Amino acid sequence: MKGLPEDYLNYPLRRRGMDHAIYHFRALPNAKPVMWPNGARVAVCIAVHMGHFPMDMPLKPFIAPGGMERPYPSYWDYTLRDYGNRIGVYRLMKSLGARGLPATALLSAVLARRYPVLMDDLAAAQWEITCAGMNMGRLHHSGVPLEDERATVQEAAALLRQRFGDAVRGWHSPAHSESSHTLSLVAEAGFSFTTGWANDDMPYVMTTDAGRLISMPLSQDLSDQRMLHQQHLPTKDFTKAILDAYETLDREAQETGAGRLLVVPITPWLMGVPHRIRAFNAMLDGIMARGSIWPATMGEIAAHWQAQHDAATA
Amino acid sequence: MLSEPGHYDYMPWRRRPKITWPNGARIAFWVAPNIEHYELDPPPNARRMPWTRPQPDVLGYSWRDYGNRVGFWRMADVMARHGVRGSVSLNVAVCDHYPEIIERCCELDWELFSHGTYNTRYFYGMNEDQQRAVIRENRETIKRASGQALDGWLTPAISNDETTQHLLAEEGIKYTLDMLHDDQPTPIKVRGGHLISIPYSLEINDVPLLVMRNTPPDRFAAICKAQFDQLYEEGAESGTVMCMPLHPFLIGQPHRISALDDVLRHVVRHDKVWLATGREIAAWYTEHHLAEAQSWIAAGTP
Repeated sequence: MKGLPEDYLNYPLRRRGMDHAIYHFRALPNAKPVMWPNGARVAVCIAVHMGHFPMDMPLKPFIAPGGMERPYPSYWDYTLRDYGNRIGVYRLMKSLGARGLPATALLSAVLARRYPVLMDDLAAAQWEITCAGMNMGRLHHSGVPLEDERATVQEAAALLRQRFGDAVRGWHSPAHSESSHTLSLVAEAGFSFTTGWANDDMPYVMTTDAGRLISMPLSQDLSDQRMLHQQHLPTKDFTKAILDAYETLDREAQETGAGRLLVVPITPWLMGVPHRIRAFNAMLDGIMARGSIWPATMGEIAAHWQAQHDAATA
Repeated sequence: MLSEPGHYDYMPWRRRPKITWPNGARIAFWVAPNIEHYELDPPPNARRMPWTRPQPDVLGYSWRDYGNRVGFWRMADVMARHGVRGSVSLNVAVCDHYPEIIERCCELDWELFSHGTYNTRYFYGMNEDQQRAVIRENRETIKRASGQALDGWLTPAISNDETTQHLLAEEGIKYTLDMLHDDQPTPIKVRGGHLISIPYSLEINDVPLLVMRNTPPDRFAAICKAQFDQLYEEGAESGTVMCMPLHPFLIGQPHRISALDDVLRHVVRHDKVWLATGREIAAWYTEHHLAEAQSWIAAGTP
């Protein structure tokens, strides 16, 4: 039997730390403690996935969660996602606004062109706008030529900055999809933080060819897309999971004296439907009832963390 | 390929012209039983195979056939007990196969609208003449079997092709259910004629919930009631629509029928509910609210 090539058992990157140079390994107990404003124990960020799913989106190399699953032309998939940007997001705005809670939109840039009225309403609600690429059909992966990917990042950034100016500081790759170039292109386009790597509870520093990015947590494991859309779990399993996560983080903050961060990823076409919005409200009330939270946008949290990090390492 | 249906304009869920329903109702509630026939040996379609197993798919076929033999009768009795009429999403070949079912629907004063000829004959890939022929034949069959006009349309398995909505309007269909973008009726843009959309649902539809999302009956009932409660509350500001689509082969099973009973009891207990049919909702909206919605859209949804 011929077996595998000889170099199959070579491990050139077997060493202490990561098998890449994007960031350093950091064990959570060894992270420098961060203090949130007013001594709050847990910073809470509501991250709203506002994607646009084109009906003719490519199905290769993979489909974003919520992408077209049925034969073309799938009015079924298209219109249910579009419902989120017409109706669901307004229910979320109302729920969050009534509680004085800020939110961070992870926005498909084409929505700025498609739905200018929605952009006005998001601005009036003072939601932070971060760029989630062009749309949910334009994914980032190794099969995309570098110059095409650069053009996508630049175009998406420009579309949102035309409407929202320099306040657009954060990037989220659609469906957490990245090529090995994405982070450099994002830094090159002037973003200061990115969110999508699901490997930490706390911010950390990424290094790219074009400079530094703060990596902000964004769970897929604990998200309505995974739990409600992909795993078909009951709504209360998702809202209970968020509250359980919050309780754990709050307890850790009390025990260690270090601030913790809870990012709550939600999706208008999932949490914004009539039969789920009350469960969402109850979840928010549950978080607020425990006290000692710092409700903030992802950009505010990133900036606050970065200032302390830089002061400590100066 | 189209990047979007292109049949409706953006309408934010805020600042909309107020919709009022008859007698001050907050919500128009309608039930749409899908009364279907899936053929034992249908022809293939390039975009979708009718059955998952090689034909005859006895398991798949007999499961659905249960709906016409047993489930429908049980479901209809529960609806009648609560005074809730159905608006039937009808595979119109049922008129030929099972006239007993059509007779019972007419006896209960239910509306019949078209869900195509068979649920195993998709619109994917039909040319315009073929689509037109199906719509016309469906109209004639429903007229012959029930005396009713054909006002509403749901393409079988939502398999509509790019031009289907245009043809529906040209053939005089008044409302379509192929789009799921809203909780109120909306204008639909077509190349000629008039068409509106009224809300159907795949969120509280028994097929996605019970089959695709593995929902037990008691949770199914809880989800439907939660949907109703929210839309009833929002209806105080401007009238909403809730559709409850059913499939007798699922909801009419003995272990699930009490869930339907539970939901309908909850709905009819409220006083500001308009127990309507699809045709009634479409007619009311078209007469009282369509023009205002169109002006608001034209003005940029201020």
